[in-house]
Amino acid sequence: MRLAFWLYEGTALHGISRITNSMKGVHTVYHAPQGDDYITATYTMLERTPEFPGLSISVVRGRDLAQGVSRLPATLQQVAEHYNPELTVIAPSCSTALLQEDLRQLAMHSGVPEEKLLVYALNPFRVSENEAADGLFTELVRRYAEEREKTAVPSVNILGFTSLGFHLRANLTSLRRMLQTLGIRVNVVAPWGAGTADLRNLPAAWLNIAPYREIGASAAAYLGDRFGMPAVYDAPLGVEATRSWLASIVREINIVAAAKGAPLITMPELRAFSLDGMSAPSGVPWFARTADMESFSGKKAFVFGDATHTVGVVKFLRDELGMQIIGAGTYLHRHADWVREQLQGYLPGELMITDKFQEISAFIEEEIPDLVCGTQMERHSCRKLDVPCMVISPPTHIENHLLGYYPFFGFDGADVMADRVYVSCKLGLEKHLIDFFGDAGLEYEDDSSGLPAAPASSNGHDREHAGTEEASGQPQHTADPDGMSWTDEAENMLKKVPFFVRKKVRKNTETFARQKGEDCITAEVFRQAKESLGG
Amino acid sequence: MMQVPGEFPIIKEDNVTHSFCGLACVGWMYQKIKDSFFLILGTHTCAHFLQNALGMMIFAKPRFGIALIEEGDLAKQEPTLEEIISEIKADHNPSVIFLLSSCTPEVMKVDFKGLSHHLSTPDVPVLFVPASGLVYNFTQAEDSVLHALVPYCPVAPAGQKSVVFLGSVNDATADDLRAEAEELGIPVGGFLPESRFDRMPAIGPDTVLAPVQPYLSRVAVKLNRERGARVLNSLFPFGPDGTRVFWEDLAKEFGIEVDLRDREKAAWEKIRQQTELLSGKKVFLTADTMMELPLARFLKSAGAEVVECSSAYINKKFHSRELEALDGVRVVEQPNFHRQLEDIKRQRPDLIVTSLMTANPFVGHGFIVKWSMEFTLMPIHSWSGVFTLANLFVSPFNRRSRLPAFDGKIWLEGVMPSSEQTNEPQLKN
Repeated sequence: MRLAFWLYEGTALHGISRITNSMKGVHTVYHAPQGDDYITATYTMLERTPEFPGLSISVVRGRDLAQGVSRLPATLQQVAEHYNPELTVIAPSCSTALLQEDLRQLAMHSGVPEEKLLVYALNPFRVSENEAADGLFTELVRRYAEEREKTAVPSVNILGFTSLGFHLRANLTSLRRMLQTLGIRVNVVAPWGAGTADLRNLPAAWLNIAPYREIGASAAAYLGDRFGMPAVYDAPLGVEATRSWLASIVREINIVAAAKGAPLITMPELRAFSLDGMSAPSGVPWFARTADMESFSGKKAFVFGDATHTVGVVKFLRDELGMQIIGAGTYLHRHADWVREQLQGYLPGELMITDKFQEISAFIEEEIPDLVCGTQMERHSCRKLDVPCMVISPPTHIENHLLGYYPFFGFDGADVMADRVYVSCKLGLEKHLIDFFGDAGLEYEDDSSGLPAAPASSNGHDREHAGTEEASGQPQHTADPDGMSWTDEAENMLKKVPFFVRKKVRKNTETFARQKGEDCITAEVFRQAKESLGG
Repeated sequence: MMQVPGEFPIIKEDNVTHSFCGLACVGWMYQKIKDSFFLILGTHTCAHFLQNALGMMIFAKPRFGIALIEEGDLAKQEPTLEEIISEIKADHNPSVIFLLSSCTPEVMKVDFKGLSHHLSTPDVPVLFVPASGLVYNFTQAEDSVLHALVPYCPVAPAGQKSVVFLGSVNDATADDLRAEAEELGIPVGGFLPESRFDRMPAIGPDTVLAPVQPYLSRVAVKLNRERGARVLNSLFPFGPDGTRVFWEDLAKEFGIEVDLRDREKAAWEKIRQQTELLSGKKVFLTADTMMELPLARFLKSAGAEVVECSSAYINKKFHSRELEALDGVRVVEQPNFHRQLEDIKRQRPDLIVTSLMTANPFVGHGFIVKWSMEFTLMPIHSWSGVFTLANLFVSPFNRRSRLPAFDGKIWLEGVMPSSEQTNEPQLKN
């Protein structure tokens, strides 16, 4: 038992629905109490899904437990009727898992054919989001993948791209562009957008690409064992990593080509990978050599995240941008050994392995790095500490689901990462200047109103620099040139209005009072104004 | 589906509903009671819910947290929370700790009453708040919080006649309600809850409880039973209609006859543009926050055609006046979402009031939608809330009319590949 406030990884149930929400014709039914499908809101709000996610809840209520009633069969019938999925995955939540019901038996009462149902019951107290997602995806691949004739042209499957993944769409686009440049066809992307028919067709590809250590790598390993399919597991994070990734793909494809007697593919000129087809594919190598980037040699970076991004970003920062790595860590205990092995020689000390954000925050506070690369939580911790931070790892947040093209993978991704490093750290430098020479009017919050006694001169210096309307405040309301005064009571009422609209409310109230011929804002006038102006 | 007998028919369904569990109330209750700490005895699921669905990030030291049940704790007889309580006291120094139940410890049959009693000290009581999704929906656990606060409301002596407003509202709304009551000559005893634990209002046999939120039936019953307080049976103070009836009825409890019809008329006049737009519009409320009954009644009074008003929980006594005002409207308790989807496709409502989970998909289907959660977070009470309330319903229409025409075939392509109904080979290079 411990006190928790925030967790990096979601639940097993979340991992399961991330897979099924990615897929066509696959539905999840949560056998769970009211509210355990809260995660639907993250799909519909973060990914802004224009269709209902393939996720239903079969509500378990306290009184049903007492009466031995289960709605599961009825829910499965309703789901079959409304969505007609090819497969429904049934999963208990943490509380219903303790009931140790025979969900398979219960599901059979629905009359839905057994081959359309899959009970996926994990121990939710032991298995978390990523392990559950990886496990279910592998299970589905195992269930559907069939022996297929290889495609005539070189082809790959892209595995592990999953709903709510980190910069998922842009990364996928980046990989597709590079594969297209190599002349390689994408056979199947899964689970993102794949149906069961696509999973059946996986073995037709020449090669599997599974860049995420967390999800998809196990399925690629299974396909290797069962169908002899080769796989590339590296993540193309950074220019060097992308070049070696491309080389691996060419090599693996050509092994298959040679065995088939098909023509070999060749690595095109690097400019072919650029957005316009006529430039360097990335600005990073030159950027890193420029004089103004020399100061980065002394910059200390700390990296924390999932396994894939932590490894890729540490290598990128040190090997390509020449920064110092003062530490790194991951919240994924399950992949810690792999991360440690990958980062051998990169870290001055031990790899940090923890799912307690407070420990990471304490480390950052102790070390005050020049740059932190972390999750959304590190961004919050760093904001409090005034430490520059860029987000490089899931769990995703609305800011990781932007509309523009911001991949992390490939040459395009290397540019995005370098830009973010530069912008984050540069702001840090500016901040030092600001700290050194004064606040430069960056304090926007109006904290002076409501203190009528405060002499204007006490912070007049700040205001002189501020200049903007937001920062100018209006502390001298009792001596307003228009003669509008406020009673203390009215002033106190105004203070209860959120600060960011307070100025507007003050102005509107005074306008209202003037129209009414009042020259003093009393509590009564304030209330009338509020009513009349709609709060 | 079954018909519940009574004067005003309610259809009762069950199963698939998309809404939150009672823990959601932590989102506003910890902010309302400023010297409190909300401790949830729960699992990874509870923590993940709070951080995701309620969009909570930890900016400073939050005054809520989860005592996380891990695998090793499942075998234990009773959870040991002493260390966690000490940690909370050291870091936050709260005046009160609310101990919220969740589904897993309920299934484990944790003795919450005994546990909270054991953890309480004279200085810092630990109060049990039932909140699990096995029983409670969304806003309902606020009822449990207030229930737990009852012993900390002093007993008002007989003869001390005043109103206590029931339900958490922000300070500005509380000021409005207080001023309005005083204006009418109604003595105000306070609010349950007040913003501080040590300032809970005195309640006694001559207290009139005026519920200002529609999901607090249990605490009202308890206070009536234990303290002999009268519970105002009126409309809830939303919209010109509800607000007039609420204040007139409340005044009547104090022997004051007021006629607020002119005021109501003026309030309707103020939102005439809005009601003209809403008039004749078909509105469907899918059930989420339990604000649905008064919202539907306001819409009906404003001239809209409410095609369905669903709510997770309806109390025939506590909601009797709202139900009466909704006579003729299809009212459903614990609706089945699959059935609602079918009805919505057939009825094509002009506006759907629905949860965060289903809002965007309805928009994807071409509907105009309002998030129901906004009604719990906006100042829509009484006269000063009328404008805000009306605008919440109108703004989605206005926004839609300002945006250019939209061809879903073009602009939704690739947004959600899993929903594209083809089994063609995927995008070719």
